Amino acid sequence: MAEVEEQLPLSPQDGGRGECGEEPPDGGAAVGVSETAPPSAGSPVTEEPAEDTKKKIDVLLKAVGDTPIMKTKKWSVERTRTIQGLVDFIKKFLKLVASEQLFIYVNQSFAPSPDQEVGTLYECFGSDGKLVLHYCKSQAWG
Amino acid sequence: MTDDKDVLRDVWFGRIPTCFMLYQDEITEREAEPYYLLLPRISYLTLVTDKVKKHFQKVMRQEDVTEIWFEYEGTPLKWHFPIGLLFDLHASNTALPWNITVHFKNFPEKDLLHCPSKDVIEAHFMACVKEADALKHKSQVINEMQKKDHKQLWMGLQNDKFDQFWAINRKLMEYPPEDSGFRYIPFRIYQVTTERPFIQKLFRPVATNGQLNTLGDLLKEVCPAAITPEDGQKKNQVMVHGIEPMLETPVQWLSEHMSYPDNFLHISIIPQPTD
Repeated sequence: MAEVEEQLPLSPQDGGRGECGEEPPDGGAAVGVSETAPPSAGSPVTEEPAEDTKKKIDVLLKAVGDTPIMKTKKWSVERTRTIQGLVDFIKKFLKLVASEQLFIYVNQSFAPSPDQEVGTLYECFGSDGKLVLHYCKSQAWG
Repeated sequence: MTDDKDVLRDVWFGRIPTCFMLYQDEITEREAEPYYLLLPRISYLTLVTDKVKKHFQKVMRQEDVTEIWFEYEGTPLKWHFPIGLLFDLHASNTALPWNITVHFKNFPEKDLLHCPSKDVIEAHFMACVKEADALKHKSQVINEMQKKDHKQLWMGLQNDKFDQFWAINRKLMEYPPEDSGFRYIPFRIYQVTTERPFIQKLFRPVATNGQLNTLGDLLKEVCPAAITPEDGQKKNQVMVHGIEPMLETPVQWLSEHMSYPDNFLHISIIPQPTD
């Protein structure tokens, strides 16, 4: 998969194969009570310094319904990447046709705007050091 | 408390006198007259400009018309931002009417989202309402509502029906009696001068010592450069719905009374005008 990874704008975590065996986070709960970004205590990737200066955030992609599952679910994503950018990436990765729709949900409750930055979503809705996003070919949660 | 309810109405019925003019390079069969309209601050451009579109399409050929888009002094206006936010951010210190240029060609793909139908506006609006409730109530209130309640929020906005809207929205403004406010405040801070589209972070309305956090506290935490240095001159205006709330205002109160219908506080930081 190496040549594929070079073309992709996102970098996978830990070699790209493994099943993530993670529990979905409690809807809406941000770890910690302070106003700062969630701690990345569980992050398997790097020993990067303070949250604010970290350019990339960890995203966990989960398929909904009969949408194809991505072999690599955990990705390191630039904070400034938009939801649209992520949609385009997933579509390419899953070899979906450009005209096919793909919906992305945060907290299994709302679909962020295509121009939303993942960094902002991580700040507000991340937990256990990552942002969990559900993706679906049809509208799942309206 | 009568005064507080009045604020809700003042926010809802805010209007901006606007003059729409067709972009000079658009091909017309006759001269296009400008079109004047009072725009609701709380709504969205593509929701309230059907008459504008019809007016200009009358002087154009069908084949020259593709998706309408709006621009102010060279800046494409994002339809998915509330009108009042766009005005405060780009034109609040210029003379009225707000002069907006109308385009039907060369849609700026990099700057604007497409808006093929009203359904897209509804979907965007509801997504914002849901995101706001995720912050305020862990989505509990919005999820307990029926689909028809969600629809009523949208219809209230679309048809400019204050009572219809607030019959449902008041539930989104409640919080458990044992708490002093929402879990987190839904807010976005915009500045034209920065690269970032907006600042949005987790911020509690109540501090650990039980005191209500203020607008000043919020700015100090997430956008300290916006606050005037103690020894310096006031550099910026912090604006919501065309006014500068006092920095001592509790954010909980602002969230309940000066949010847009999407339940977000959209705050503009603009340069202090030099009279």
